[in-house]
Amino acid sequence: MKPSEMKTYDCKPTLTDSQVLEFCTNGYLMLEGVVSDETNRRSVDYCGEFSNHEPSGILGQDWFVEDVIINPVAAGAVRSLLGANFHLPVLMSNHRVPCPQGPTHWHVDGNYKHQHELNFLQVFYYPQDTPIEMGPTQILPGSHLVRNKARFMCHLSGIRGTVSTAAPAGSIFLTVYHIWHRRGPSTTAGIRNLLKYFYWRTTPPKRDWVIEPDFDFATAQYGGPGQNYSEQFRDTVKVAETFLWLCGKHESFRNLGGQSWPLPANRIDLPYGFPEGLPQP
Amino acid sequence: MTESQHQITESLVTDLHNGTLTETQLRQKIAAVATETDKKLQDILYLQVGTTSPASQVIGMTYIEGGVLKEASPDPDEWQYQTVLDAVQDGWRIISFPNMALLAMSDEDAYGLGFEFILERWR
Repeated sequence: MKPSEMKTYDCKPTLTDSQVLEFCTNGYLMLEGVVSDETNRRSVDYCGEFSNHEPSGILGQDWFVEDVIINPVAAGAVRSLLGANFHLPVLMSNHRVPCPQGPTHWHVDGNYKHQHELNFLQVFYYPQDTPIEMGPTQILPGSHLVRNKARFMCHLSGIRGTVSTAAPAGSIFLTVYHIWHRRGPSTTAGIRNLLKYFYWRTTPPKRDWVIEPDFDFATAQYGGPGQNYSEQFRDTVKVAETFLWLCGKHESFRNLGGQSWPLPANRIDLPYGFPEGLPQP
Repeated sequence: MTESQHQITESLVTDLHNGTLTETQLRQKIAAVATETDKKLQDILYLQVGTTSPASQVIGMTYIEGGVLKEASPDPDEWQYQTVLDAVQDGWRIISFPNMALLAMSDEDAYGLGFEFILERWR
């Protein structure tokens, strides 16, 4: 079967326990320069020829599917987060803009669904060098844990904790769908392409990524940048629930409140309320 | 009389003394004086902070100067105001305090970007 004819795909997972947990806390993962120069060049050419906002035909190009969609590094990360035989993208969007121009509004993309489950990933690919001058997407790490509505965010501008996805050609970044983001302001002339596509889970979650023998569920740090925008430890609890769900252990998840697991602390014993059935190093 | 109205009047007097004032110029400048107003522009500052206290750290900032949105520095440490009180001490006036209704939405979830103060000043 040709790469472009595949509906689902499987490969070896590449992320470790810590990296999966880090994705849960930050809401995104950047993979810099993982696509070949040749494919980057062909992708830019394709986007120039088919300059509309949904050049989905590129998903019918074997060279593109092989080097971008099932790219070993990117697909390995997707496999880690979405499990075996994940569904491949069927729609390609291109946020193609002439530069320079101002930023877009901060927003969450439409049809978001706040939940502890991670059943799909929104993924972005820069086929050309995208330094800060080309207005790369800005992301607010941890904001996937904070509810908002796009129409309530249009007056926001500078936000502490914002990160730029400025990256060299061939970079791919994975996001939780409802993370807050916007196109950054650009200051130099040129065309910026940013291809965006979706992967879907087809199998129940389980901890089948790269297991770290010394990973400790009791002392792992479930807190992250989301704590800057929410009530103390609420982000910690949400991240822990998602991580256990990804491990296939959601039935074990519980939050007894107060100083119980998963709150971080210097304890003399297992955290009170530590879920049953979780492995210990 | 505004500064601009004063300048137009003075130019009329100068032209009159020089003998160069025409009927057309006189009509144009009278019309200019009549329409010139002492226009002030409102600046708006949205400051989102981490708690309800105006002394807590600013986590978000939007600045509109004279009707034009000004992009904030990507480095928050370079923002002119690090707290709402900093802005008040610089002459800004709070016109809206944080909406506490967001607290009632859910005990488990966070909504929106912190606590939002809206301030104004006139120039």
